[in-house]
Amino acid sequence: MYYLGVDVGSVSTDLVLLNQNKQVVEKLYLRTKGKPIAAVQEGFRMLKNKYGNSEILAAGTTGSGRQIASTLIGADAVKNEITAHAVAALDTDGDVRTIIEIGGQDSKIIVLKNGIVTDFAMNTVCAAGTGSFLDRQAERLEIPIEAFGDYALKANSYVRIAGRCAVFAESDMIHKQQLGYNEGEIIRGLCHALVRNYLNNVAKGKEIKDKIFFQGGVAANKGMKAAFEESLGIQVVIPEHYNMMGAIGAAIIAKEKVEKAGKTNFKGFDLADSVFQSKSFECEGCSNGCEVVNIQENENVIGCFGDRCGKWGSKLAM
Amino acid sequence: MFLAYFLQTGQEYFNVANLYKEVFMKVGIPKGLLYENYQPFFHTFFEELGAELIVSPDTNKDILDKGVKYCVDEACLPVKVFHGHVASIKDKCDLIVIPRIMQLRKREFICPKFCGLPEMVISSIPEMPDTTLEPIYAASNEKLFQWAKVTGKQVTNNRSRIQKAFEAAVENQANHKMGFDDRDTKLKVALSGHPYNIYDNYLNMNLIRKLKKLGVGVVTEEFIDDEIKDRETSKLYKKPFWSFARNNYAFTSHAASKGIVNGIIYISSFACGIDSVVIDLVQHNIGDFPLLVLKIDEHTGEAGLDTRIEAFVDMLERRSS
Repeated sequence: MYYLGVDVGSVSTDLVLLNQNKQVVEKLYLRTKGKPIAAVQEGFRMLKNKYGNSEILAAGTTGSGRQIASTLIGADAVKNEITAHAVAALDTDGDVRTIIEIGGQDSKIIVLKNGIVTDFAMNTVCAAGTGSFLDRQAERLEIPIEAFGDYALKANSYVRIAGRCAVFAESDMIHKQQLGYNEGEIIRGLCHALVRNYLNNVAKGKEIKDKIFFQGGVAANKGMKAAFEESLGIQVVIPEHYNMMGAIGAAIIAKEKVEKAGKTNFKGFDLADSVFQSKSFECEGCSNGCEVVNIQENENVIGCFGDRCGKWGSKLAM
Repeated sequence: MFLAYFLQTGQEYFNVANLYKEVFMKVGIPKGLLYENYQPFFHTFFEELGAELIVSPDTNKDILDKGVKYCVDEACLPVKVFHGHVASIKDKCDLIVIPRIMQLRKREFICPKFCGLPEMVISSIPEMPDTTLEPIYAASNEKLFQWAKVTGKQVTNNRSRIQKAFEAAVENQANHKMGFDDRDTKLKVALSGHPYNIYDNYLNMNLIRKLKKLGVGVVTEEFIDDEIKDRETSKLYKKPFWSFARNNYAFTSHAASKGIVNGIIYISSFACGIDSVVIDLVQHNIGDFPLLVLKIDEHTGEAGLDTRIEAFVDMLERRSS
């Protein structure tokens, strides 16, 4: 018997199955590539042959695509990423006081006290310092993103790079490259710039207390971990399932919900074979002109999103 | 005798012109910036002067698009949206009201963008009709009447009518009540920020409705009286320069220290200079009392906003239980 958690993020779509002791038995890390439905379907295709529909006791979704994913799979719980990450971290280690989470499009800090979230913050309008930015720089330097951390660790010193803005950071890096610094020094400098930006921007005014969890996709980058430890002077812990924490949290929350409700809404793995189509149109009901997206499964409309008034979204009782 | 005749017909001529002006004058009122706050005043004043009012619709996508298209890029979203409101009605009216609000309370001012608002709009939007230009000093009725005198003349030459319209406008304005007071809800937040961010449901992506849907009550600064505000701001090392800084600082400070709400949501337009100072002051003042700062800009995707609100409400629920 398992609990399913799905985290549809901007860069990756993560699926986990937890057993009844909340241990991870299956984890899938897929690239979303702007197609959340296809990513979830791909994940389900992989799970379908190994697990039966009735083996899933509860399903939860999180991430920026949580609504669409919930409609798709029939989720029991739809939770924001902050709560999901906090729940997963606390389940891993009850002593966590600070969570640094850096994902594809956003970065967050979550402050915990006595097992509850007491404060949090997210990056505002700039995506400098997030996974997408690192991805882009790796691509530009022609270094696989997986090796980014090793390059940083190999460098003995680092160059200073402006971290406040992604565009400035990039031009600064180009300048430093032109001056002849090696890649390692530049990448290490970039890690420091991102950490500086995170601490001054996202974590501004927040008390960062031990024990610190570093999670989200960017935690795979050893250079970032080292830069955080150097700046904070405290050891930073990367949990085993650092890139799955959102999905794990969603699964745990769904488990709790179903234990109260008694039954799951999970639609089963068969959606892997369904044909999904999304059509968008501009609603002409009022002057708002909302861009409404309409998701169809085998030509049946299963969900509508994007309307401000609820005219389309509420028609379908989920 | 010739002279007398001339004077008489001249007089008549002017009266006819006046009549024409009053009956056919179409006055446009953009529903942007502080419209919600001073709607009764402007409506009554121009209606009493005999003008036909053309009010722009509630902010919508078209208005936002027009605003972004015409306005200078550095302006904040509410100012851009104001441009959109003007653009949406400019071809339908003879005169557009662009309130150059300088002052609402003595020795306090408001955002500098308001001081140059008419010029900003006129130079950005092509083929503008006439606009009001006179600055508004609303610290006292005497000062405010200066605006009415000059602006009224753009509609009518009848001085006593201007006087009467002004009096009626002031009276209606005095009865205007705004704000939310859900202090009796179990879970509630203090909603702080500039009024145009709080009351424009398009700009703030239906924030208030979203909160209510989550079962959270909303309390706004209108329920804190001036005495309390003065007391709260007297703790600052310097009297606040801006009226909205005073309101928001005093309100959040009072709400947090008296525990009348579970948390504070501060809604702020990206690049707002005043908020950049006030939010820092507020954060510093309230210590670890829950505060969520929401930045709004042109994006229409609501996922980011929803995530923040939901997480904040989750947090408040868990903290209070």
